[in-house]
Amino acid sequence: MGEVEKTFISGLKEELVEEKVIDESQLDPNFAKEIKKYGGKDVMTCLQCGNCTGVCPISLKIDYKTRSIIKYCQFGLRTYTLGTRWVCATCYRCYEHCPADINPAEVMIALRHIAVREGVIPPFIKVAATNLVRYGQSVKPDEEINKIRKELGLGDIHTFSPDFKKVLREISVLIHASKYDKLIGIEDEVMV
Amino acid sequence: MTSYAYFFGCVIPNRYPGVEYAVRWVCGKEGYDMDVKDVPDFSCCPVPGIFYSTDKETWLLLATRNLVLAQDERREILTVCNGCLTSLMKASEYLKDPKSMGKVNRVLAQVGKKYTGVPKKSEGKRKVFEPVSVRHYIEVMANDIGLEAIAAKAKRPLKNIKVAVHYGCHYLRPTESRTIDDPNNPVLLDKIVEACGATSVDYEDKLDCCGAGGGVRSHVVDLANSLTQDKCRNISDVGADCIVTGCPFCLLQFDNAQKSFSKDGIPVMHVSQFQALSMGIDPISLGFDTHHVSAHSLLRKLRGA
Repeated sequence: MGEVEKTFISGLKEELVEEKVIDESQLDPNFAKEIKKYGGKDVMTCLQCGNCTGVCPISLKIDYKTRSIIKYCQFGLRTYTLGTRWVCATCYRCYEHCPADINPAEVMIALRHIAVREGVIPPFIKVAATNLVRYGQSVKPDEEINKIRKELGLGDIHTFSPDFKKVLREISVLIHASKYDKLIGIEDEVMV
Repeated sequence: MTSYAYFFGCVIPNRYPGVEYAVRWVCGKEGYDMDVKDVPDFSCCPVPGIFYSTDKETWLLLATRNLVLAQDERREILTVCNGCLTSLMKASEYLKDPKSMGKVNRVLAQVGKKYTGVPKKSEGKRKVFEPVSVRHYIEVMANDIGLEAIAAKAKRPLKNIKVAVHYGCHYLRPTESRTIDDPNNPVLLDKIVEACGATSVDYEDKLDCCGAGGGVRSHVVDLANSLTQDKCRNISDVGADCIVTGCPFCLLQFDNAQKSFSKDGIPVMHVSQFQALSMGIDPISLGFDTHHVSAHSLLRKLRGA
């Protein structure tokens, strides 16, 4: 087997954990517990074998090392995980290759839960959530496509049917009940 | 005969209506005449990269709402998208835990819905429920319709067509609660393409991610496109005429990303469109004009010109 070629995309580099100087004040002893609370497994059982990084398609493109991120989580280096929370493609290859059954992809998902609760919400999350409340779908309907639908004899997207208003009301009720509207900052006028 | 409910999701109806047409055509009178119905109250699955990633409670509520609709119709959900499959299937798994089910039902009561699962049989006074079944188009075609039936309906000669299949991550993984296909050596999509009469060609890193999933496309599009570029390089190295996938989000990624690194690009389509082509549909009905990468090179080859 030849060596795998890494072609990094600029601006998305980070250092190896081993190269960093860690200050004790940066350590959050409750971080691992918090990850468990949001559905991640116990990061303390990670063996640091590095299989997850080896199979990660993203790690070939940016200096994103799943193993290092799990290490940061063990140390409680909360701020170190900030830049890499939204680059995981959730392909779950790491899960299939993890001998300690950590499921690193689910740890990334738990980190995202923590991020939005810290108020770090990437715009695409807000857009998709707003689309869901407004149209019942996370993708915004498109006029041109609707024309082509009609040409094909498919009829309107069901979002536009008057009967769908009831569905939008139900979605609003559920999103309000789980306080997702407040969490993500979906504007009040969008809610039915 | 199994009864299904169409679950088209968001991307197909709003971006690739040709896929919706192809699925309805293959499942309908022109094709296998299956018992499959529209449930107009279905909403977004909801998309795992957004909702499962940021608040599992909200994700489960919205997914269960969809499952209840299928449960009340006593139908299996027929998804045409890997994202919808993984979101709904995972929700159905979560709801096996009575505590989760109870918690979700307390909130769903506010909209007059209740998840129980589908009643299967009665043991004395006790009813036995089964989780709502969530299926993928590829697997339904391969297992319920069968490869022989697919081959029997393949009228258009496709022998010269070389196809690169792309499964997509969430069709294969995670395997914690299910396996549709072997995650390390999946075969069903290849077999469908072969049953249609075409040749499925092997290529390097066939099971790699398209790059779009988990919000990567929305968040860092260059990163997503860079992964797609690697895949497309491997695909064009083996001289494939088109890419066939079972996931509209992978389709969208291949279709959009190719603009960023190549002039012509390799045509890409959903497995239902390819199947309909093999069954002799007029390609004009497949909505290829909504695809960014033109399908002309493939259609020309089909006409033998």
